[in-house]
Amino acid sequence: MGIKSFSRARAIHVMLVYTGGCNGCDIEIVNSILSPRFDAEQYKVFLTWNPREADVLVVTGPVTHLNRKPLEAIYEAIPNPKLVVAAGSCALMGGVYKNCHGDIPSEEIEGPVENVIPVNAKIPGCAVRPQDVLAGVVSLLPTLLDAD
Amino acid sequence: MDEKVPKSNIIETEIPMGTVHPAALEPYRVRLFVEDEIVQEAEITIGVNHRGIERIMEGLPVEKANALTEKICGICSNSHIWNSCRTAEMGLNIEIPERAEYIRVIMGELERLHSHFLYLAHGCEVLSHETFSMRVFYMREIVMELLAMIGGNRVQYGCSVLGGVRPRCDLDEAKLLRLKNDMDALEENLTGFVDRFMADSILLSRVTGIGVLPQKQAIKLAVTGPTLRATGVARDLRTTMFEYDNFDFNVITQPDGDVKSNLIMRALESFESIKIIRQAIANIPEGKVVNRDWEMFDTDIVQSYIEVPRGTLYHSYRLEGGRVRHSIIRTPSMANIGAMQYACIGDQITDAQLCIVQCDPCFTCTDRAIEIIRR
Repeated sequence: MGIKSFSRARAIHVMLVYTGGCNGCDIEIVNSILSPRFDAEQYKVFLTWNPREADVLVVTGPVTHLNRKPLEAIYEAIPNPKLVVAAGSCALMGGVYKNCHGDIPSEEIEGPVENVIPVNAKIPGCAVRPQDVLAGVVSLLPTLLDAD
Repeated sequence: MDEKVPKSNIIETEIPMGTVHPAALEPYRVRLFVEDEIVQEAEITIGVNHRGIERIMEGLPVEKANALTEKICGICSNSHIWNSCRTAEMGLNIEIPERAEYIRVIMGELERLHSHFLYLAHGCEVLSHETFSMRVFYMREIVMELLAMIGGNRVQYGCSVLGGVRPRCDLDEAKLLRLKNDMDALEENLTGFVDRFMADSILLSRVTGIGVLPQKQAIKLAVTGPTLRATGVARDLRTTMFEYDNFDFNVITQPDGDVKSNLIMRALESFESIKIIRQAIANIPEGKVVNRDWEMFDTDIVQSYIEVPRGTLYHSYRLEGGRVRHSIIRTPSMANIGAMQYACIGDQITDAQLCIVQCDPCFTCTDRAIEIIRR
């Protein structure tokens, strides 16, 4: 382990982007990182809202039309190496909003996230469970630490 | 307090916040027009989350549409599916077993608890008081695990179905006992938190008189829910709902309409919810939980109002051959946006986010009935 990965392992910053889901996944992810029950901060995983500081981008929600450009801009702003986690069934496949057709199909959904930015890990669930979020982020760590 | 009048002249300095901002969980944009760090005018723009739920609902079978309404909001998901089922039940004259009504009330009150705890935690987080925030988040976990025990999932429970509740959500002796014990633990924790909160003079001086929403203005803006009750108006739809006929609870009000009133309001209302859940556990009747004995027919437009954690929720639709037509959903945050904009006026920029958070915004719910003009 080089000194770079050694120090990077002590400050993994996760950025949460919310692209129009129902708030459920969002709160569960904030819960899994901040709250004392799951507490990812004890593994030196921190939540940030600054893309220039982030290492892992967690995207929730089906990407709505108005959210596409901001999401791309946020992805561009993250320095390399960067990894993207799509969390929740909306981010994986558009969720009920894209696939639940009545008489008029939804035109607002640009998702799933894969259509917009490359995705490295997928966390299923509606809403995602905090345990799954931790497992998803942890499964990415070797990739992040071995990069350059 | 007399009315705060927004200045009508042109204000040059504008501070935009959002659409993705650390203090706000959800994406929305607020423009603050300031003079000498004092907010003179605030403007909240939403619409980023627009998914067109009412449009997708058009023509869906009613059972499927009920499941879809649950995905409107991840915080008050149970309220949406409850009210949507209630609308269809009112239209089709479906009789609901009494046990199912009790379970729905228990779920509704558990959801109110978790929503109010989220509010308190988020409020303390915005106040930069992490210790309190963590403490409330920890209490919230008790409620989340109870919800997961009853519904099988931490967020979207899918508890109500047409004619009652899902058989999975039936409560046996062991579950009732756990519910009872956890309510005791919760009350103890919450009492400890409220005592500590009220004894903290630094924190109280930080929240007193910030983000005042006068009562007259709250009524004028048609504010609903705890935000209205925090200005001293005792208006709670639970007092008129037939589900709550057998329960004894108080409508809590607070006098000032500032951040302090709002925070205390939520804490005291949580005690009332615990009281209601205890009554439900003690008196829950025996019997089946779902009534499958009903027929589908075409109905007129049916409207249903219920009290959800954030205020009054309105669902209405018409049934035509078992399918949903002309669905309209109005969520409480829609009415409370006016209150958020108004509460910011006259306070420092640093308090603006607090003034918005004090009205308990849930813009995910609200982003539906908005027309998006593409250019």
